Amino acid sequence: MIDNVLAAAALLTTPILLAAIGGLINRLGGIVNLGLEGMMLTGAYVALAASSATQSWPVALLAALIAGGVVGYLFSLAVTRLQANEIVAGVGLNVATAGLIGFILKDYYHSSGTIRLPDVVMLPRIVIPGMAQIPIVGAILSGKDPLTWLSWALVPITAFVLSRTRAGLRLRAAGAAPEAARALGLDPLAIRDASTAVAGALAGLAGAQLSIGVVGVFSVGISGGRAFIALAAFYFGRNRPGLTAAGAALFGLFDAIQIYLQGRGVAPELMQMLPYIVVLVVLTAIGLAERRRRLLQGA
Amino acid sequence: MVKPAVRIGARGVTRRFGAVIANHAIDFAAAPGEIRGLVGGNGAGKTTLMRILQGLEQPDEGAVILNDEPVRLADPADAFARGVGMVHQEFMLVEDLTLLENLILGREPAGPGGVIDRERALAEALRLAASAGVDLDWRLRVSEAPVHVRQILEILRLLYRGADVLILDEPTAVLAPQQVRDLLNLLRRLRDEGRTILFISHKLDEVLTVCDAITVLRAGKVVASTIPAEANIGRLAELMVGEAIEFPRRLAQARSSDGPALSLRGVRALDSRGVERLAGIDLDIAPGEIVGLAGVSGSGQDEIVAVITGLRRAIAGRVTIAGRDATALSIAARRSAGLGYISADRAHEGLCLAETIAANVIAGRHRAKPFARRGLLWPKTIRTYANKALARFAVVYRDCQEAARTLSGGNQQRVVIARELDRNPRVLIAAQPTRGVDIAGAAFIHRQILAFAAEGGAVLLVSEEIEELLALADRILVLYRGAVIGEVAGADRSVGRIGRMMLGEAA
Amino acid sequence: MTAATTGVVRTSRFDWAALVAAFAPFVVALIVGAILLAATGRNPLAVYGLMLREGFGGESRIAATLTAATPILFTAIATAISFRAGIFNVGVEGVFSLGGLAGAVAGFTLTALPSPLLILAELAVGALVGALWLAAPALLRARLEVDEVVSTLMLNFVAVNLTLYLVNGPFLAPGSANSATPMIAEAGWLPRIAPPSTLSLAFVMALVFLALYALWDRLTPLGFEARLNGLNPRFSRAIGIDAPRLILKVMIISGAIGGLAGSAHALGVTHRFVVGFSPGYGWTGLAVALMGRNSAIGMLLGAIVFGALASAGTTVQLFSDIPLEIVDVLQGVVTIFAVVRFGRLLRGRRAA
Repeated sequence: MIDNVLAAAALLTTPILLAAIGGLINRLGGIVNLGLEGMMLTGAYVALAASSATQSWPVALLAALIAGGVVGYLFSLAVTRLQANEIVAGVGLNVATAGLIGFILKDYYHSSGTIRLPDVVMLPRIVIPGMAQIPIVGAILSGKDPLTWLSWALVPITAFVLSRTRAGLRLRAAGAAPEAARALGLDPLAIRDASTAVAGALAGLAGAQLSIGVVGVFSVGISGGRAFIALAAFYFGRNRPGLTAAGAALFGLFDAIQIYLQGRGVAPELMQMLPYIVVLVVLTAIGLAERRRRLLQGA
Repeated sequence: MVKPAVRIGARGVTRRFGAVIANHAIDFAAAPGEIRGLVGGNGAGKTTLMRILQGLEQPDEGAVILNDEPVRLADPADAFARGVGMVHQEFMLVEDLTLLENLILGREPAGPGGVIDRERALAEALRLAASAGVDLDWRLRVSEAPVHVRQILEILRLLYRGADVLILDEPTAVLAPQQVRDLLNLLRRLRDEGRTILFISHKLDEVLTVCDAITVLRAGKVVASTIPAEANIGRLAELMVGEAIEFPRRLAQARSSDGPALSLRGVRALDSRGVERLAGIDLDIAPGEIVGLAGVSGSGQDEIVAVITGLRRAIAGRVTIAGRDATALSIAARRSAGLGYISADRAHEGLCLAETIAANVIAGRHRAKPFARRGLLWPKTIRTYANKALARFAVVYRDCQEAARTLSGGNQQRVVIARELDRNPRVLIAAQPTRGVDIAGAAFIHRQILAFAAEGGAVLLVSEEIEELLALADRILVLYRGAVIGEVAGADRSVGRIGRMMLGEAA
Repeated sequence: MTAATTGVVRTSRFDWAALVAAFAPFVVALIVGAILLAATGRNPLAVYGLMLREGFGGESRIAATLTAATPILFTAIATAISFRAGIFNVGVEGVFSLGGLAGAVAGFTLTALPSPLLILAELAVGALVGALWLAAPALLRARLEVDEVVSTLMLNFVAVNLTLYLVNGPFLAPGSANSATPMIAEAGWLPRIAPPSTLSLAFVMALVFLALYALWDRLTPLGFEARLNGLNPRFSRAIGIDAPRLILKVMIISGAIGGLAGSAHALGVTHRFVVGFSPGYGWTGLAVALMGRNSAIGMLLGAIVFGALASAGTTVQLFSDIPLEIVDVLQGVVTIFAVVRFGRLLRGRRAA
């Protein structure tokens, strides 16, 4: 039983983690991206369509990555160049992309919800001989798709890029102090746009994992609010890749437990609330600690 | 390469804004390896000249001279490419990054894949610091670095990026005296290495100490170019101000026998970073008395004002306003107890520039009669009242329903004074009341403060201008590192004495 | 978002430039929609003409549009109140659902009450639940400086899941499989004001609240304080306005109106609480508040346009082969560009 839940949790964590890393990078660049859900949905649809058209999962992934990145970049332009409000624009993007994809589904596939396409090549499962037998670890790692491995590889890579590379340094500077960055000859808006494109690309991959990683079909509800759980994960992680990943894994685990408990007397909705409540609890705890510090200083 | 005679300068630079001539045929020339002082009061044209030298403004006539050649600077990046860098009063640092990261940002030494070569960066940082004779902890975050470290970092960053002309705008305004000495030594070292420094300041003693030559600006024109050996503070001040201004002088008022209108006892306070800024302040101001507060900025003036107004809570001690213990009172309660406050930060704290003038006049009393009756605001009453108050304080405006930002700086300050004095407070906290106000406006404000005191009001006057304190205050308390280091009153009120105390010499 | 420069005591003068700017997003959306329609072999002008007729052509269509505009207008008002004070409260979406559920529960449990009392009780319960709900993030912000954007956003998801749980569990209508509460007693329905259309008294209530909002904004001390705090919090503090209390008051009012909006929608339109009760009314209201720059007239116009889109969309699909989703595309694009400053493009990319 525990193995089943953990195996499911690992799978359910992948899209959350990918989107959360994207959201984290975007946040460091200065944008809170509520449009990740729309980018994820775009990636899910494009991956399925591309996989069906080319019978190649790497091409499908590349297509999802590019589609998510392009949507992210366009969204970013609205925010950085036209000063759209990032929160409401993100919500609007989700409505618009869901509408557009729903339109295509009806108009082109004559389907009002779910599509199955011929010749879809799913993501392969990576089976390492003998690993499945290791308790717990086996359940988590064995038979997972490449995106799951990629998502976890991205955690240390992101941490390294952010702290040790030119791109990471400039990203943090552009997000935290755009004026200072500009004074040093950097273009903070362009950096911001690039970070949103990266976030969109990762959300696109997250969507691909949903459509060609697990089920092999696409439906308009396939992303199911996972980008918002990702958002909760990066608020939980407060700009730290490791902590963000921990949040994503925790929320993936909640999701797996919730599915496991369905029909066993625990309402799934109550479990689905948990990620958001955890974030509120964390924020409150931080607020209390800060308040104690401020009171000591008479602010 | 032959050394140019003029590394940076201006030839006949004129810049107009509408009818105002901000710079009028400005000439100056600084040689390589020279510290050139640019001094002048508010509105002398220093800021415009700096912006032109940075490529932020284009001169209408004349040209910037670099290496003996007239040039056109497209923007700050262009100026920088020609070796001209500037340290602004508002530092351009990223708080969340370390000193080292801030130093290299935008010019990071990096290997393959853009991985920053930290060894090389640190070696370069240490070399720069050593050559400048300073020692920094490069791993410290800027948010944890004290202000003088930030300043040094700004300067080192210009050097790191290859500037050999440094423009420093009021670089000592935020520094304590020892830090000022260190900074001036740093500048001398940089000069001796052949760099050119434009030192913009209104602190004449510092200008005389560190500069090789001084250009004095007044009303957009160069009124003198001199060298320290041939100048003294008095002469420079005269040049800056022009004909001697008659500030209203004040005769010491007879003190009332009542208790003090404002009293502080053993007040201690911390700043937002938890550093102690007030180390036990005792202060009494009698009705009708004007007490001045002098000190290098950052000596605790801001915190005293904040603790009295209630913007910051004291961690110890007591504040009494008009006989009432106000230590635990809210800002609003202190104001109704009789406290008025002219903020040093007019644009962000003194006024709501986006609101109407009328709203600014009545703000704070918007729940009181006659402005609010039966739970509603009465716009006509508010306008009538506002017009009357604005007239009383000679504010020049068209319509009290226009946004406050449409007013000139001096008139904005009069709106602040109208709001604060028309309530007939018992105590007035006046922080930098004439900052950014022209001389005629300043004289008007001075008269208002004097009139308020003459009617029995108590005034705490905080000012960076010692002359202003001398002109208005009955006694002047000098702050040094969060404590009152001395008091001058009566005949022994002299600039020199106050200046020495500001630098920490006990009375 | 609250950078209005009109003053508190200013009572006349209409800002036409702001009105034009407010409608720019619609123009962009229509262009995007036209491209989509043209690309799929349709005549955009014909489709828009059809939508216009379905939105405004005749009494019954206007009534449908106003019915659809009602919850949007309500949520816009609820949001604008907090925006005025500089509080970026995005929690009205969740409050709307909670208020709807609370009103519905009152409506099928307190059936012993006579009609007017029952309606009042339903509305009051909705408002109360909303007020309490937003008091939480208000306290977090006022006392602990917890960013209200994050807290209200997270609370939306909590609210949605909470109502889902309640409507599938304790309040599920007996024998019902489709996640809905029992019907509200008919005595607890808001009366229809233009039968046979579904336009109910809720619309009139929304207009009354809009008028009250305008009054609050311009002529009350609290509205005055909210505006000062929104425009310049440091100034507002220095002249003695107690920001934590102001935030609490404003958020409670916002929550009450948001909750009331939900219960009015339940009482007037759905007559029970059902899964999918809010297709994003709170978010649409947020966009309308931003687009209307928190002004009463701007919000009214914005709500009507969004209402027309929604009501036209449902019928356009019935009479043509155009997928209903065209409406989502238009709505989404309008929302994205809700507060965009197109002027910046014309003036070139000036450093912000």
